[in-house]
Amino acid sequence: MIMLLTGMLATAVLAGGVLALAALGEVLAERVGVTNLGVEGLMALGAVTAVMTVSSVHSPWVGLLVAIMVGAVGGMVFAFGAVVMRANQVLCGLATTFMGLGLSTALGHSYAGQPVETTFGHVSIPLLSSLPIIGPALFGQNILIIPIYLLLPLAVHFIMFRTRHGLNMRAVGENPAAADAAGIPVMAMRFWYVTLGGAMAGMAGGYLTLTYVPVWSEGMVAGRGWIALALVIFAGYRPIIVTLSALLFGLVTALSFVGQAHNWPIDPAFLNMLPYIGTMAFIIVPVVVWHRMRRVMAAPAALAQPYYRDVR
Amino acid sequence: MATRAFQRLPTAPAGRILALRLVAIALSLCIIAGVLALSGHSPVMLAELILRSTLGSRFGLEDLMLFMCPLLLTGAAVTVCGTIGLWNIGAEGQFYAGAIAATGVALGLHGPVLVMLPLMTIAGILGGMAWITVPTLARAYAGVNEIITTLLLNFIASLLTYYLTTGPWRDRISGAQVSTQRLSVSIPEMWGIVHWGFPVAIMIVVGLALILSRTRWGYEICIGGANPEAARYAGIPVRLRIISVMLLSGGLAGLAGMFEVAGTVHRLQGGMANNFGYLGIVVAVLARGSCLNVIPAALLMALILDSGIVMQTQQLSASVILAITGLILFMIAIGDELAHYRPVATTPAKGKAS
Repeated sequence: MIMLLTGMLATAVLAGGVLALAALGEVLAERVGVTNLGVEGLMALGAVTAVMTVSSVHSPWVGLLVAIMVGAVGGMVFAFGAVVMRANQVLCGLATTFMGLGLSTALGHSYAGQPVETTFGHVSIPLLSSLPIIGPALFGQNILIIPIYLLLPLAVHFIMFRTRHGLNMRAVGENPAAADAAGIPVMAMRFWYVTLGGAMAGMAGGYLTLTYVPVWSEGMVAGRGWIALALVIFAGYRPIIVTLSALLFGLVTALSFVGQAHNWPIDPAFLNMLPYIGTMAFIIVPVVVWHRMRRVMAAPAALAQPYYRDVR
Repeated sequence: MATRAFQRLPTAPAGRILALRLVAIALSLCIIAGVLALSGHSPVMLAELILRSTLGSRFGLEDLMLFMCPLLLTGAAVTVCGTIGLWNIGAEGQFYAGAIAATGVALGLHGPVLVMLPLMTIAGILGGMAWITVPTLARAYAGVNEIITTLLLNFIASLLTYYLTTGPWRDRISGAQVSTQRLSVSIPEMWGIVHWGFPVAIMIVVGLALILSRTRWGYEICIGGANPEAARYAGIPVRLRIISVMLLSGGLAGLAGMFEVAGTVHRLQGGMANNFGYLGIVVAVLARGSCLNVIPAALLMALILDSGIVMQTQQLSASVILAITGLILFMIAIGDELAHYRPVATTPAKGKAS
C-alpha cells in the first residue's frame, strides 16, 4: 500500500508539473485581463524546440532555456495581436494554438519518435528525500520539481497579493480604466505579463519532453494546455490553489497509469479519458454544488476585454 | 491640445472589413512565400502548381467540394452558436460523435438504403447533440465557460473513436488499422466522387440563414447574442434559446460527421475528423456571423486544405496547413479590429476641438 501510494504520488508530481507551470503562467496573463487560449500551441513549440536543442547541445538546461525563449516569443506574437492591436482575444489565442501545433509538427518531423537522450536526471536531496511517501515524490525526482511546486507559486503569490506592483497588476485586470487614470501602464503590464505567461507555457512544454515523456511525437501535448486553462478557472485565478489543483490532476493521470500497470479490467482508452472527464467535472461540479463559489472564485472583471483609452 | 488622427467606431463598415481582410490574407501569403523561399522551395512554382491542380483540374475541383461539405456544416455549427454569443470549440468532438452514431447504425442494422440513410442521418444529428449536451446544460444553468467544456470533449471523442476502431468495431475483414470495415450503405454520388451531401449541406446553410433572419426564433437568438440583459428584460427565455442553439450547433457538426463517414470515407477511422471541427471555427470567423457567408468562407478554407495535398507531394508536411490557417486567422483578427478605426480630420488649434 505504502509502495503504491509512493509510486502514485511520484507520478502525480511528475505529471502535474506540466500543468502547474502552464496554469501558473496563465494565471499571470488572466490576472491582467488577457485570456491566452494559445497555451496548447506554445507548449507544443516549447516541447519540440527543447528536443531539437538537446539533440545537438546535450544540456537539458540549454534545452529548457530555449523552450522558455520560444514560449516568450510566441507569447509576444499573441500579445501583439491581443494587447497591442486589441484584436479579439479568443481568435488570437486559437490562431496561436493553430500556429504552434502546426509549426511544432513541421519542425519536429525528423525528430518524431526518437527518444531524448539528454534529460533532467534524478537528484535526491539528502534527508528530505527519505521522508515517507512525499520524500521520493518531491525531493527524489528531477531538480525542477522544487521550483515548480514551491518557489514559483510562492513567489507569484507574494508578488500578486503582498506588493504594490501586484495590486497594480490586479487593478489592470479588474478595472483598466481606473488603473490607467492612476498612472499604471495598462498596455505594458498586459503585454509583459502575457509574454511571461507564454514563456512559462514554453517551459511547461520543455519540462514535458525533458523529464516526463522524453520523446517528441505529434499531438503529444494532448490537450494539457486546455486542461491548464480549465485549472485556472477551477482555482479561481489563485497561484497556490492552481498549483495544488495541478497536483490533483497529476493524481488523476497517475490513477490511469496505475490502472494500466495493474491490469484493471478497463480499456486503456477509457483510462486515458480520465484527465479530460476529471477536468470537466472539476469546472462544472463546484459551481453547481456550491453557488457561493461563483462569487468567491470570480474571474477578473475585465477579463478578455480589450482596453481602449479613447472610448473610456 | 493633442489632436487624434483616428477614431474608434463601435461597429466597422463591411467594405473596410473586406478590404482589410484582403490585405491580411495577402500579407499572410507574403509571409508564407518568404518562409518557403528561405527553406529552399520556389513559391511561384508552388503557387502555379497549386492553382493548376486545385481549380484547374477535375480531380482538384472534386476534392474541393468534398472538403467543402464538412466545412459548410461545422462552419454553420460555430456560426449559429456565435449568433447567441457563445463559442462552440467542440465541433471536432461532435463530428466524431455523429460519425460514431451513424457508423453504429450502419454496422448494427440492415435494411434498404432508403431506410438506412435517414436512420444514419438522424443518428448522426442525435450523436452530435448528445455530445454537446453537458456543455450546454453547464452553460445554461451554471454559467460554466463553454469554450473549455466543448473543447475537452474533443479529446474524449477522439479517444472513443480510437477505442471503437481498434476494439469492438475493428476491421476484421481487410485488417485496416484504426478503422472499421467498409460500411455497406453510402450516400450516392452525384458528380465524380462528390456525393449528394454537398448540395444538401449548401441547402442547410441557406435554410439556416433564412431561419435566423426571418423567424421569431432567429430574431430572439440574435437579440440574446447582442444584449442578453435586454433580451431577458424583453421576456425572451434566453436560457431556453441558449439550449436550443447549442443543441442545433452540435447536431450540425454531428451531421457533418455522418456525411463524412457515409459519403467520403465510408468507414469510421481514427483521425478522420481531419481538424474539420477546428477549421469550422475559422470558417465561422470568416463568415462574420452570417450563414450565407459560410459558403464562400468554406470555399476559401477548402482551397487551403486542397493546396495542403499539393504541398504534401512537394515534401512539405501536411501540418504546415494548420500553421498557415493559424497565421491567416491571426492576421484577419487584427485586420477586423483595425477596420473599426476611422481617420478623423484634425482641426487646427483655433476654435473648439471636439
